[in-house]
Amino acid sequence: MRAFSLLAALAVSATASLAATVQYDFSVEWVQANPDGAYDRSFIGVNGAWPPPPIECNIHDRVIINVTNNLGNEPTAIHFHGLFMNGTNSMDGPVWVTQCPVPSGSNIIYNFTVDQPGTYWYHSHFSGQYPDGFRAPFIVYDRDEPFADAYDVDTYLTVSDYYHNSIPWLSANKFLILTNPTGAEPIPDAGLFNDSQNIKFKVEPNKTYKIRIINMGALVSQYVWFEDHDFQIVEVDGIYVEPAEASMIYITVAQRYTILLTTKNSTDKNYPMVTSFDTDMMDTLPDDLVWNVTGWLTYDENGEFPEPALIDEYDFYDDFNLVPYEKEEPYEPDYSITVDVSMQNLGDGVNYAFFNDLTYVAPNVPTLYTVMSSGNDSTDATVYGSNTHTYVLGYQEVVEIVLNNFDPGKHPFHLHGHVFQVVERSDASPDDETFLTYNPDEPGTINEYPMRRDTVYVRPNGYFVLRFLSNNPGVWFFHCHIEWHLQQGLALTLVEAPAEIQAQQVIPDDHYAACKAGGYAYEGNAAGNTVNLFDLTGEKLQPKPLPAGFTARGIVALVFSCISAFVGMGFITWYGLSDLKTTEREVAAIVGEPLDDSDESK
Amino acid sequence: MVNEVFNVSVFFILFRETVEASIIISVLLAFLKQGIGRSSEDPNLHKKLVRQVWFGAALGLLVCLILGGAFIGAWYGLGKNVWSSSEDIWEGVFSLIAGIIISIMGLALLRVNKMKEKWRVKIARALEKGSGTKSARKFTTKYAMALLPFITVLREGIEAIVFTGGVSLSAPAKAFPLPVICGILAGSAVGYIIYKGGSYMKMQIFLIASTCFLYLVAAGIMSRAVWYFEMYIFAKAVGGDVAETGSGPGSYDIRSSVWHVNCCNPNIDGGWMIFQALFGWQNSATYGSVLMYNIYWIAVMICVVALLYNEKKGHYPFMKPKVNPPASPVALSEPLPSKETESV
Repeated sequence: MRAFSLLAALAVSATASLAATVQYDFSVEWVQANPDGAYDRSFIGVNGAWPPPPIECNIHDRVIINVTNNLGNEPTAIHFHGLFMNGTNSMDGPVWVTQCPVPSGSNIIYNFTVDQPGTYWYHSHFSGQYPDGFRAPFIVYDRDEPFADAYDVDTYLTVSDYYHNSIPWLSANKFLILTNPTGAEPIPDAGLFNDSQNIKFKVEPNKTYKIRIINMGALVSQYVWFEDHDFQIVEVDGIYVEPAEASMIYITVAQRYTILLTTKNSTDKNYPMVTSFDTDMMDTLPDDLVWNVTGWLTYDENGEFPEPALIDEYDFYDDFNLVPYEKEEPYEPDYSITVDVSMQNLGDGVNYAFFNDLTYVAPNVPTLYTVMSSGNDSTDATVYGSNTHTYVLGYQEVVEIVLNNFDPGKHPFHLHGHVFQVVERSDASPDDETFLTYNPDEPGTINEYPMRRDTVYVRPNGYFVLRFLSNNPGVWFFHCHIEWHLQQGLALTLVEAPAEIQAQQVIPDDHYAACKAGGYAYEGNAAGNTVNLFDLTGEKLQPKPLPAGFTARGIVALVFSCISAFVGMGFITWYGLSDLKTTEREVAAIVGEPLDDSDESK
Repeated sequence: MVNEVFNVSVFFILFRETVEASIIISVLLAFLKQGIGRSSEDPNLHKKLVRQVWFGAALGLLVCLILGGAFIGAWYGLGKNVWSSSEDIWEGVFSLIAGIIISIMGLALLRVNKMKEKWRVKIARALEKGSGTKSARKFTTKYAMALLPFITVLREGIEAIVFTGGVSLSAPAKAFPLPVICGILAGSAVGYIIYKGGSYMKMQIFLIASTCFLYLVAAGIMSRAVWYFEMYIFAKAVGGDVAETGSGPGSYDIRSSVWHVNCCNPNIDGGWMIFQALFGWQNSATYGSVLMYNIYWIAVMICVVALLYNEKKGHYPFMKPKVNPPASPVALSEPLPSKETESV
């Protein structure tokens, strides 16, 4: 095992000998900042600064990030969104999936190569943490990109929603509680452009800018446009596409769009650029929320900065119609997974999110460590737990995910470790009572060369169909990227080619050390049982369902009440039938008449 | 479509409210007719007291139209749903008051009607003059026959107006007049049957049966009062969403739930509304509402036992026997006019 992986490592390093190594040292700590001018609050920053620095490298580089958690009160972990981590699944980052949370005072090293070009981002993948500020761009430069000669400046632009309070606090006090039975997500307090507001994006005339747009928010999708400037979409989520003319994009959280924007001839005007919340995604729209965030393409710093014009409708480019540069026809699936998305209340009165009838509950041992310690049983999904919703995939198969959305909201779903073909995506259903589900015998629109990316949204009460090739052994998380819904458990686990993971990959010692430092189990099945892998006693399970109908308690109460009523009425009858000697005497005394027993009452 | 001229929800709302009010009024009128109306001594007395009953009802109707109109006006005119934010408190308080009044008057009426006829008349006359020295006491006894119908019609009327107003947001206007009239007529018919039933049944049985029915309704009302107060607390904690969740999960507080079924919601379902009016049915019962129902009946039983004890022994349990018997059963605190005799 070890010898093989050493050999593989030597082989890889030989071919990558021209590639550089990029090294970062991150001290993760709390930093005060005030991005929207409201007030200072604590953010999770890096090396004393917020926002955290972007990571930049060239394609085929090795990236090494030495992370020390100096937060003092929270663990952390970093996920590099969109990177395949081929052969290094342990570097992917989601806690309880590929690693333990790294407790405060401990450190962890992320060491991987990047063999894919484009725009990515990194963020905390510990429960609800990244909207507290721990997120930033991850840019991979590629000299050989198809439009390498088409632009002058390569830059990035981030958009985000912003909460004044931390997500863990909001979750515990406002969101995942029984007095929020409809699961209404908390409303953001503001929106940000490049972690700031009213930004002046300096541009020179007659130049083409390659702008990598990243949505680093927690909830809200954004409409982004540049007034009077059209552009070409050239890359999404690391996949080059045939340039597509557009004037507006719709970017969900975690998605990236790279555009080429050519500036105008003259410097006489500055043009507003806007990122506008998709207000459908918010339960209510508070009066004091500014949900259109403005910046300016600044040609003239001393000029006017006009307010953006009102628009009649959002005319955005539907990413379903993008054509990848490297064209693939739709795969034929070997293995299909169908999941229905719904939100329901469980027995604690709280609203949870479900794939079919399971809401995700984290295991006691990270799923990847269960793979490494389960020997030949690693292909049996049982060992990974009853509530991790794990599917075991074979190696080099085409896997299909059919997702039917039984919720009237839009959801952006993300698959770690892969891009997927978006084979079909339905429209929203016409009304709240109708649901559109996938019917392979009556397929919807399928493009000749389906679009590929790693984060895609499903429409209300609609469905989508994704396909990908399982050529990347690892444990990969598939989940909604709305941070609230992830807290509600809208996730499942794919264990892809576990035997190959065991054969080809090694978990570094410092990763296990982080588990030990936090007192977490790192071997055995989902319950932590290393002896009998099929004994899941002690695993964490979802709350019991709400009682449907009458329980024993209810029947007893109802019967008892009926008995009370009958007995009570019996007493009244008893009273009605009995003599009233005392009362008669009293009345006789008042009215001055003698008691007359011979007078019968009617 | 039938639903374009006849809104079924509106019919059931009006039917339910009218049934509750007419049960109480018709039982009251039947008592008066049997107890005093058959007397040859003073026919005017009967008419006076009957007029009191109708006067109370009419006053209740007038006040509820004014209040209800104000709510609806605020709703549509100002766009503010003043009612719904405090609805559960209003309902709870109204229910509590109505339940207490019915409970007090029920047994008293049963007792009065057991009197010999001539004493009934004298009591009724004393009632009409008003007994007691304190003005509040004097007022309530003099107008006792008006008070119960007033509070009953007021409560039922406001409920009818506000619930109908709530339904009207989703229904065409011409679907309203017909079910309103039919609901009122149907409810009044039930009351009339009860009133007439008194003439055909043996008096004693009729009195006992209608008192039992009255207490059944009162038990339901008291149970509902507690339910409303608990629902108010939960709705305040949740905010606006409780109303939207209908009968399903999230529309009730799981912590205080004794039973919950996702159907048969008396706030929405027509037939179950009637079930609630008669028996206090809730599809989502709380510890509070169930306990109140049972405690109420136990309290009634205790009262009956105490009253019967008094009949046998001349004094209430745990109390010393009175040296001089106190005044009439409907004005117990009056100082004793033992040496005087009332003019006949």
